[in-house]
Amino acid sequence: MNSRGLFVSTLIGAGLLAAATLGVGQASAHHAFSAEFDGKAPVLLRGKVTKVEWINPHAWVHLNAVGPDGQEREWMVEGGTPNTLLRAGIDRNTLKVGTEIIVRGYQSKDRSCTPVCKANGRDVTFPDGRKVFMGSSGTGAPKDGSDPTEK
Amino acid sequence: MIGHFLTWLQNTLGKGHGDTAQSWSEALLGSLNFWGLLEGTHLLALMLFAGTIFVVDLRLLGVTFRRTPVSVVSDRVLPLTVVGFLLLLATGLGLFFAKPLFYYHNLWFRAKMIFLVLAMLNIAVFHTRVQHNQAAWDTAPKPPGPARLSAVLSLVSWILVIAMGRFIPYDWFECGKPVPHWANVLQDCKASEKGAYEKSVTTANPTTAKPGGQAS
Repeated sequence: MNSRGLFVSTLIGAGLLAAATLGVGQASAHHAFSAEFDGKAPVLLRGKVTKVEWINPHAWVHLNAVGPDGQEREWMVEGGTPNTLLRAGIDRNTLKVGTEIIVRGYQSKDRSCTPVCKANGRDVTFPDGRKVFMGSSGTGAPKDGSDPTEK
Repeated sequence: MIGHFLTWLQNTLGKGHGDTAQSWSEALLGSLNFWGLLEGTHLLALMLFAGTIFVVDLRLLGVTFRRTPVSVVSDRVLPLTVVGFLLLLATGLGLFFAKPLFYYHNLWFRAKMIFLVLAMLNIAVFHTRVQHNQAAWDTAPKPPGPARLSAVLSLVSWILVIAMGRFIPYDWFECGKPVPHWANVLQDCKASEKGAYEKSVTTANPTTAKPGGQAS
């Protein structure tokens, strides 16, 4: 192979590698689950909603809850896009400030809880027992089998 | 100064009256479809833009289309690059408008803008200096050194612009989190609404850590 051929194939190889790397990120739309969250750190949070940020690309539900360390703190839990949540059955009218919810999710790799604790939300249970997935299915979150629609 | 303008852009512009009133920026950020449409279009336009500009750069390097004159390649391909760039600019401005303060205090975004300026300067130098004797090397399989240097600078700076852009959504250095001192300085976290936390301070004594600054 001459030097030009080598150069071109190196370039193509580098391009494919870059595409593969980007592909991992894009499967989750904006960032890979594993870049921020720890699939081995499940959390169960119960508390009243203090704020909901209905923003792209991820909505954030804030609540005061007792974490794995036994301390009550403010948590912010990541969901899907507002669109994903609407289709799952959560919107501004069903998830209001003051609603008592139970969230199952996974804590961020960064456990510093500064400025607040962060987690990725798996599902949320409402006071009437209704349970809704928060859009983490298929983003690299652990496939725990709880979501029957998850492939 | 810039911070004040961006705060106004994010929180005030277009805001009506009432408890649930939103600024245009907030409405865009919370939109069900439009934000996703902007982001999707930004990424698709990026493929058009980068894919075509790389073809021209590789021709200038003497790697591809060596028997086709440089002018033929660029006349066919660069109009597509310009279309791609205009789409990128329009959608990029829209995405920036959705959360101006986030991008302003984001390390990756700041780096992206620097490489974007370098890439534009390179284009300006190419058109005003390097291209003046293009007739002499238009048909050469391998154009002279200055043209090849332009091509390398273009490839490197655009790849860096794309890579930095890709890193923007990751929160590793986000203001308000305990991040190294240099990250707080480079992102001007002190002036951000989330404040500046020094990593060394918080790991040494998590309970006494204090924000380094207030929202402007």
